[in-house]
Amino acid sequence: MGKFVQLVVDGLSTGSIYGAIALAIVLVNQATGLINFAQGGMAVLAAYVAWWLTTHSVPLIFAILLSILFSFVLGAVVERWLMRRFERGDPDTAVVVTIGLLTLITGICGWLFTYNNQQFPSLFPLGTVSFLGVHISIRSIGTTLVIVVAMVLLQVLFVGTKLGLALRAVAINPQSAAFSGLPVGRLLMVGWGLAAALGAVAGALVAPQLTLTPGMLDTALVYALAAVILGGLTSPIGVVVAAWIIGVLENLAAVYIDFIGFDLKVAVPFILIFVVLIVRPQGLFGRKTVVRV
Amino acid sequence: MARGTAPASSSTASSWMQRPSVRWTALLLLLVVLVLAPLQLSEFTNQTLARIGVFAVAVLGLNVVMGYTGQVSLGQIFFLGLGAYVTAYGVTNGWNVVLTFALACLIPAVAGLLVALAAARLGGLAIAMVTVALPIVGVPLAKRLSDFTGGSEGMSTSFATSPPGSGLFDDQFQLYVVLVIGGIVFLLTRSLVRGKYGRAFAIVKGNEAVASSMGISPYRYKVLAFTIASLIGGVSGFLYMLVIQYTSPETMSFGHSINLVAAMVIGGSASIVGSILGGLYYVLVPQLTNAVDPSLTALLQGAILLVVLFLLPGGLVSLPRALTRGRRRSSAARGPAAPPTIPSSTTGSGTATEEKETERQGHA
Repeated sequence: MGKFVQLVVDGLSTGSIYGAIALAIVLVNQATGLINFAQGGMAVLAAYVAWWLTTHSVPLIFAILLSILFSFVLGAVVERWLMRRFERGDPDTAVVVTIGLLTLITGICGWLFTYNNQQFPSLFPLGTVSFLGVHISIRSIGTTLVIVVAMVLLQVLFVGTKLGLALRAVAINPQSAAFSGLPVGRLLMVGWGLAAALGAVAGALVAPQLTLTPGMLDTALVYALAAVILGGLTSPIGVVVAAWIIGVLENLAAVYIDFIGFDLKVAVPFILIFVVLIVRPQGLFGRKTVVRV
Repeated sequence: MARGTAPASSSTASSWMQRPSVRWTALLLLLVVLVLAPLQLSEFTNQTLARIGVFAVAVLGLNVVMGYTGQVSLGQIFFLGLGAYVTAYGVTNGWNVVLTFALACLIPAVAGLLVALAAARLGGLAIAMVTVALPIVGVPLAKRLSDFTGGSEGMSTSFATSPPGSGLFDDQFQLYVVLVIGGIVFLLTRSLVRGKYGRAFAIVKGNEAVASSMGISPYRYKVLAFTIASLIGGVSGFLYMLVIQYTSPETMSFGHSINLVAAMVIGGSASIVGSILGGLYYVLVPQLTNAVDPSLTALLQGAILLVVLFLLPGGLVSLPRALTRGRRRSSAARGPAAPPTIPSSTTGSGTATEEKETERQGHA
C-alpha cells in the first residue's frame, strides 16, 4: 500500500511537469493555431540560465525567477522575430520551423554549457514525510503544488483580468480583435512569453531530478504532446488532468505490469490515446469542432 | 497541390525549357549521366549518392501523406526502420531476395494501414501527435523484441555484392540498384499524384467538407495515402539495408523522424523534385556540419533549417521561382518601361502570393 501511494504521488509530480509543458503548448496553440515543438527546448534553456546564475552565486530562488523573466522575453522575441513570418502561411512549415528552433536551442545549450550532465540544486529538501505510515518525498509534493499554483495564477490572469480578456479575444478571432483596436501582435508576443515562462517553471522543477542536459525535456515533450491530445487541444484543465493521469498510469504500469516494465512505459500514454480517440476523437475534455463551409 | 512537378521549368522566364524537344533531350542527358556517373565517381561519392537516393525515397513517401494529402506524419522513419528490419531478418535467414523485398514493402504497408485506420479518424494536428508514437514506442519495442531485431546491438548484413562477371564494384552495383528501384518508385508516385488519386488527395488537403460533398471520402483517401506512404517507407528501408548494411533501434529514433519531416519541408512540400532535394539535405547537411565542427552539429543544423525556411518558405524547390520574381521586381524598379504587371504587388507578403501561385498551378 505504501509503495502504491508513493508511486501515485511521484506520478502526480512527473505528471505536473508534463502538464506544465502541455499547458504551454495549449497556450501557444490557442493563440496561433500551431504546435510549438521547441517548448521543451526553451524550458531547458531557461533551466541552464538559472543554473548558470547559481554558479555565479545568485541564490537559487532569484536565479529561477530571473530565468522565468528571461523565458518570457525569449518567448516574445521568438514570436515577433521568427514565428510571425510563418503564422499565416502553411502550418506544416510553421511546425517545422519550431522543430528547427528546437534543434537550434539544443545546439546552443550544448555549445555554451557542453553536453555533460550538470547538477541542478533542488528547490526542495530531499527528505520524505511520513503520513499514515506512508513515506512521500517532499520534492514530489512541492513540485505538484508549485505547478498547481502556477496554473491557478494563469487561470486568474485569463479569466479575471483585462489582459486575459484581450488574450482570449485574440485567440478566438484575431481579425475581429484587431478591428476592435487590440494590439494583436503585442498580445501574441505576451501569449508566447507566458507559455515560455510556464515552461521555465517546469524546467527548474524537473532539472534536479533528471540532471541538466540539452535533451533533458525531449521525452517530457512527447508526454506533454500525449497529454495535449488526450485532454483535447481546447481544454487547459483537461490537458492538465490528462497529464496527471498519464504520469500516474505510466508509473503504475511500469511497476505492476511485467511486460511493460521501465523501458516500454513510454507506450502507456499512447495505448491510452489510441483507446480514447477511437471512442472520443475530440479528446477526453475537448469540444467537438464544427467546421462551417 | 501538385507544385513543381516539372523541374524548374515552371517559371515563365525560361519558357524555352517547356518545349517538348528540349525536355526530352534534357531527360535523355540526365539518364546517360546517371548510367555513366557511377563508373567514374569515387567509392565515397557513390555511397553518398546511394544514401541520398535512400532518403529521397523516404522523403517521397512522407510527401505522399504530408505534402499531397496534408496529414502531418511524424512517424515515417518507423516504416523505414520496419522495412530495414524485415530485410535484415529475411537476408539473415537466407530468404529469396525478391521475396524479402516484397515482404519489406508489404509488412510496413499493412502496419501503416492498421495505424491509419485508427489515426485517420482524427483531424488536423492530432494525427501528427498520434504518429509521434511510432518512433517513440518503436525504439524500445525493437530493443525488447531482440529475437527478431538483435536488440540494442542491431543487425548487420550485406547482401548486395555485385554479381560476378559484371565487372562492377559493390558500391557501383548498390548505386545502380538504388537508382533503378528509386527511379521506379519516383515514376509510379509521380503518376499517382498527377492522376485521379492525386486530385482526390489535393481536395482532401484543401477542404475535407468539399471533398465529401464531391463524393470523395476524406477518411478513405487519408488511409490510402498513409498506407502508400508506409509502403514507400518500407521500400526505402530495404534500400537502407542494401546501402548502409546495418540497422539498430536508433535507426527509427524520434530525432531522425523529425529530421525527415524537416528534410521534406526544406526540399519542398508536395513536390517530386522537392523529395530529391530533401534527400540531399538529409544526407549532406549533417556531413557538412560534422566537417565544420562536430560539437556544433545541432546548432548549425537548426540554424540552416531556419535560414532556409526564412528565405524560402516554400522549400528549396521554390528557389527558381523566387529568383525570377526577384529579377522581375528589380527590372521593374529600374525602368518605367517595365509593364505594370503583377510582380509589383508581390512585394507585400511572400508567403501569401506563393500560395496563390501554387494553387493556380495545381489546378491548371
